[in-house]
Amino acid sequence: MKTPFKLCLALTAALALSACDTSSDKTDAKNDGDAPAISYASTYKALPSRTTLITNANIYDGKGEEILGGYVLIVDGKISALGEGSIGAPEGALTVDANGAWVTPGIIDIHSHLGDYATPGVNAHSDGNEATSPITAEVSAEHGVWPQDPGFAEALAGGVTTLHILPGSANLFGGRGVTLRNISSRSVQGMKFPDAPYTLKMACGENPKRVYGGKGGPASRMGNFAHYRKNWIKAADYRQKRDDGEDYTRDLQLETLADVLDGKILVQMHCYRADEMMQVLDMAREFDYKVTTFHHAVEAYKVADKLAETGTCAAVWADWWGFKMEAYDAIRENLPYLHAAGACAMIHSDSADGIQRLNQEVAKTLADGNRAGLDISKADAWTWLSLNPAKGLGIDEEVGSLEPGKRADVVIWSRNPYSTYARATRVYLDGALVYDRASGLKPVSDFRLGQPGTDAPVLQPTTPQ
Amino acid sequence: MRKLLTTALSVSLLAIAIPAMAQDSFAIINAKVVTNTGPTIENATVLVQDGKIRGIGATDSSAAAPKPNGTSIIDGTGLWVTPGIFAPYGQVGLVEVSLESSTRDTRAGDSISQASLKAAEGFNPKSSSVSATRGEGVTHVAIGLSPRASVFGGIGAIATMSGDFDSVQTPEAFAYVQLGSNGANLAGGNRSASMAQLRQGLSDATRRYTSPDDGDAVRRADALALRPVVAGRIPLMIGADRASDLQAIAGLKRDFPNLRLVVLGASEGWMVADALTAANVSVLIDPQETLPYSFDQVATRADNGARLQAAGVRVAFMQRSSEFSHNVRLLPQHAGNAVAQGFTWDQAFKAITLTPAQIFGRPDLGTLTVGQTANLVVWDGDPLEVMTGARRVVIDGEVQDMTSRQTELAKRYNPNNTSDMPHGYRR
Repeated sequence: MKTPFKLCLALTAALALSACDTSSDKTDAKNDGDAPAISYASTYKALPSRTTLITNANIYDGKGEEILGGYVLIVDGKISALGEGSIGAPEGALTVDANGAWVTPGIIDIHSHLGDYATPGVNAHSDGNEATSPITAEVSAEHGVWPQDPGFAEALAGGVTTLHILPGSANLFGGRGVTLRNISSRSVQGMKFPDAPYTLKMACGENPKRVYGGKGGPASRMGNFAHYRKNWIKAADYRQKRDDGEDYTRDLQLETLADVLDGKILVQMHCYRADEMMQVLDMAREFDYKVTTFHHAVEAYKVADKLAETGTCAAVWADWWGFKMEAYDAIRENLPYLHAAGACAMIHSDSADGIQRLNQEVAKTLADGNRAGLDISKADAWTWLSLNPAKGLGIDEEVGSLEPGKRADVVIWSRNPYSTYARATRVYLDGALVYDRASGLKPVSDFRLGQPGTDAPVLQPTTPQ
Repeated sequence: MRKLLTTALSVSLLAIAIPAMAQDSFAIINAKVVTNTGPTIENATVLVQDGKIRGIGATDSSAAAPKPNGTSIIDGTGLWVTPGIFAPYGQVGLVEVSLESSTRDTRAGDSISQASLKAAEGFNPKSSSVSATRGEGVTHVAIGLSPRASVFGGIGAIATMSGDFDSVQTPEAFAYVQLGSNGANLAGGNRSASMAQLRQGLSDATRRYTSPDDGDAVRRADALALRPVVAGRIPLMIGADRASDLQAIAGLKRDFPNLRLVVLGASEGWMVADALTAANVSVLIDPQETLPYSFDQVATRADNGARLQAAGVRVAFMQRSSEFSHNVRLLPQHAGNAVAQGFTWDQAFKAITLTPAQIFGRPDLGTLTVGQTANLVVWDGDPLEVMTGARRVVIDGEVQDMTSRQTELAKRYNPNNTSDMPHGYRR
C-alpha cells in the first residue's frame, strides 16, 4: 500500500518543481517559510486529437464573421485554417462532413457554480459561499469544486468548453474564481485552464447586507462601501510592504487584493443596479484597479455608455427578473443595448440549467434587441457566447473564436444554434472529440454510475431535426 | 428627437407591422394557423367579430369570407395564429418581488387554515408580472400556493393574464398537495408522515364534524375545502418527483377512486409510466430538466416526457427551472426543447395549450374553434422558436395591451432614444 502513496508524492513534487520554474517572479515572499502559490497548478492535458477537417460547414467564427459553405481545419489541437469553400485534406486527416450544419467556437460561461454548488443539491454540496464573514478574499472556488458534479457533462452537451467557477455572492469579497476546461477529471487541477489568470469575486448590493445585516454588518449599501474601501486601504499597504521587500507575514486575504492592485487578478463583480456600478467604478479609480466584468448587471443597459467608456464588460441574463428588488428593472434587451453602445457584453448562466442552453439565451435577447430597432447579426451575437467572455477572463488570446493558432474548441450543431430545436451534435476540446450525440460519447459522473436511468437508451426524436 | 425614434422604430417594424387592432373585430389573412383541432393551415384567415371566432380557413376559401364593414384586415404574411398559451402551474400575480415578503402571497405558514386557503384571493391582476407574462403570449395560468405548514397548499385558481379585475375565472380550479422530501418535511419529518397527513385529510373531507377540530389531520374548514377533491369535481395536483412517490400517488385511487390526479414534477415518472397510466394520472413536467437536482430526482432524464407520452400518460409542460412567479412566459421555450427530445411539434404545442385546458376541464380553451370566444396569439414566427415574439394577444375576445414595465424601460433606454433632457423625461 505504501508504494502508490510514495509515487503520488513524487509526482506532486515534480509538478510543483516544474510549476516553480515558470513562476520564479513570484518567489519573493519573505517570512512565510512556505513555497509561494505554485501548488494547485493546472495539470490539464489535452486529450489526444487527430488532424481533423470539417467540411461543408456554415460557420460563426466568434469574432463577428459568418462563413457559408466553408471548412475548419484542426491540426495538433489548434485551429489551423478556416474559410469559404474547401481545401484538400492533409494526409491522414479525418474528414468530418458537416453536411451544411453550423459550426461555432465552444461556448464560454463566465458565471457558473458547477462543482461548488453541485447536484444533487444536498447540504453537503453547498460549497460556494464562505458565509462566515463579509470579507473572505482568502478562499478559492477551486477548493470547493467537486469534479464529479453531473452538471459538467450536461454543460458540455450544450456546447460549453470553458467555464469560470465563482464563489457565491454572500460576501463583499467572496474569494478567488477559477477558470476550467470542461473535461472529465479526477481533480480540479486537471480541469484548470493553464495559465488563466485568477479572478476575484466581489458583490454589490442586497446579498451582503442581507446576509450580514444581523451578524455585525454590513447592514446597508453604505456599509458595503465602507468595508470595500477599508480593505483596499489595507491591501495597498500590504502591497507596498511586499514591493519594498519589507518584513511582512503572508496574508491570504491581502495577497489576493494586492494582486488585484497589481493587475494580476481580474475583478468579477456581482452588481445589479446601474447607480451602484457607477459607485464601484469610482472606487476602482480611487484605488487604481480595474473592474473587468460586472456580473448579472441587470441594469447595465442604463449605463451602457459609461461601461463602454471605461472598458468594463457586463455579463447578463436574457430575461431573469423580479426575484429581488435589484432585479426589478430587468429588460429583455439588456445585452443588445450594451452591444449597441460599444460595451463588451456577454451572456452568462449562473445556473446548472441555463448553462446548457446559452445559445438559446442569446437567441432570445438578440431577437428582442432587433425588434427594438437594432440591427445586430447572428454572427456578431456569437461574440456574446465566446469571445467576450474570453476577454472577461483574460484568455482571449487562446480561446473564444475560430482563428488559426487558437485552441480548437469547436461545436457542430444539428441546425442553426439560434433555434430552440438545435442541439450540439459534436464538441471538440483542443481538437479532441469529447462529446458526440450520435454515438453517445459523453462523460458520465461517478455519481451517476449505477443509478436508475443512467444507462437506459435515449429516446430519439421522432421528428427530423 | 422623439420623432426621430418613432420613425426609426416604425421602419424597422415595417416588415411585421400590424394595423392597430383597437376593436375586437378583425381578420388576419395569409397567416399560418394552428387550431389544435386539425392540421396546421397555411395561408389562412382567422376572422374575429365582437370577440368571437367567426371563421377559420384558407384565405382564398369561403370559410373566411365575407368580412363585414368595420372589420380591419391584417396581413398575416409570415405570422402565426395559435390558441393562447395556458400555463398549467404558476404563481404569476401572487408575487411582485420574490425576496420581499411584503409582496408575496404564496404561503402562510402561520395561518390556522391551510387546505382551504384560496390562491385567487391573493392574485393581483395589476402585478408587473402579469403584464410581462401577457406580452409574451401567455393568456391563462393555473396559479397555486406553496404549502408551508402541512402538505396541503390550498385551492388554486385559473386566472387570465388580461390584467382586469375579473381575470380570475375559476377561483376553485384545483387543490394542491406537496409530497416527496419537501412534503415529508412539511408533515413532520418523513414520507410516512406526509402520506398519513394526506390520507387522513382526504378522509376528513367525508367525515361529520361536531367541532372545528374533529378531524384526524385537518380542521373543519380545510376538510370542507377538500370535499370537491375527493368527489372528483376538481383535480388534486400533487408535487412529487421520486418514482416511489409517484407509485404511492397512483395507489391513492384504491381508497379514493374519484380523485382526478395531476402530478407536478414527475422527474422520475418514466420509471412508473404504466402505474400512472393505469390510475389515469396526468403529469406536468419541465422538459428542460436533465440533472439529478435532488435525491428525489436521481433518475431525471431529458426524454422523461416523451417516454411518459409514449406510455399513454397525459403530459403537459410547466417551467419549474425558470421562476414560477416571473418567467412563466418562458413556457414556449421549454416546449420547444421538448421537440428536440422526442415530442412532435404538435404534441409539444398542445402540452402548453390544449392539454392544460383538458386537465382543468376547460373545453372553451386550448383550440381555435369557430363560435368560441377568441383566446389567441399572433406571433411573428413559430411560437416554440426562441427568436419568435408575440405581436398581438387576445383574451376573452379582447385585444390586449402589450406594454409592461419592461417595455416602458426598454423604450426609455433604447439607444435610438436620445435627448438633451435626463432619462426621467424620456418616454
